Amino acid sequence: MLSQMQRLSFNVEGRYATDEELRFIPEYLKTYELRLQTYQKLQEIEQLVIKQLLEKIQAQDPSVLRSDTTDLTSKWKRDTLLVWRYSVAAVLMDDADTLRDRLLLWFETIVRAFNIQKACYTTYTGMQDVVKQHLTPQQYSLFFPILDLNRRSLGNGGQ
Amino acid sequence: MKLILDHQTPAKIRNPKKHHHYSFKDFFQFEADKGTIVDWNDAQNILATEDFIIGLVEGLEEEVGEASAAIMYTIGCEWGQKDAFFFEKWFEKEFDRPVRQAGLMFLLETWWWPFTAQGWGRWEVDMSDRRQGFMFINLFDSALARTLGDVGKPVCHLYAGLFSGFFTEMVKKQLGCIEIQCYSMGETYCKFLLGGQERIDAASFWLNEGATAKDIEKRLRSGELK
Repeated sequence: MLSQMQRLSFNVEGRYATDEELRFIPEYLKTYELRLQTYQKLQEIEQLVIKQLLEKIQAQDPSVLRSDTTDLTSKWKRDTLLVWRYSVAAVLMDDADTLRDRLLLWFETIVRAFNIQKACYTTYTGMQDVVKQHLTPQQYSLFFPILDLNRRSLGNGGQ
Repeated sequence: MKLILDHQTPAKIRNPKKHHHYSFKDFFQFEADKGTIVDWNDAQNILATEDFIIGLVEGLEEEVGEASAAIMYTIGCEWGQKDAFFFEKWFEKEFDRPVRQAGLMFLLETWWWPFTAQGWGRWEVDMSDRRQGFMFINLFDSALARTLGDVGKPVCHLYAGLFSGFFTEMVKKQLGCIEIQCYSMGETYCKFLLGGQERIDAASFWLNEGATAKDIEKRLRSGELK
């Protein structure tokens, strides 16, 4: 939404916007109530999701949380929470572009530098399963594209 | 008059240790009243048009002919060396540890991010041949090549110099660099070889003989010039 607003403001300088160019505004307003509800729900379940996701990974592939002899659990929590909060904001604002520009493009290179694409793939695939249990289908349909963007960006090459 | 360059955007004031600060709004601070653009690391930036790049490259060629490639390379080397010192300072400030205590790939990605934000393109470092004493860098969207277009020869000498200068300073060992594939030769991205001077000279010779980047990679990997 913010990115689209900025683009609109840039594109219509010195002229009037077309109906086509303005279409995203009523579309956003139509989904605003659901976005707000989803945003509040995601805020409420944040710690629960992180906990359940951690348990799921520990059961499924504990190597994700280790590097040689180092326990990476607290780093994993910090990074997962960072991505989660940016993602939740992206749902409210309907703005995956900002999520990508401000976090994912950078984080993707750091993930590659540490060679942890597999860990990210496991994390962000698992996050989809965990979150799905807590949201209504409508709420999940709003959040899914964001979760999938995270999985594709950060887990790229980790399948 | 000495300008005081101090990046003070709301994002930095709120969280000066934030590492993901490379979006346009976070990274650059436009000070219209002072006429400065200060980036997150307190470096002054200037905006340059594609006309500026064309003027620089073609003007230099007109002045010195074929030596312009060597001059651009040398400028790049000095820039890379200076930037290595600058990088050491800001890295230590941001991460509270010296560069030599950081993982190599993390270090390199961190070094290149300001360049990406400034429009120099994205890169990919291929370290798989590091033990053999050379490595490759792929550069996507080179500012020079995308501006000059398909001119049938490599044009990113400034980048080659930048990589040579920076890596030489970081590893404290003289390393040369050559562009072995360029967007300006009709390829989809640019590719650089970084290594000791004898390898760079050999690659340069093979290139002149008509070898492709793939040929050069193959010859180096098969152990020629060990």
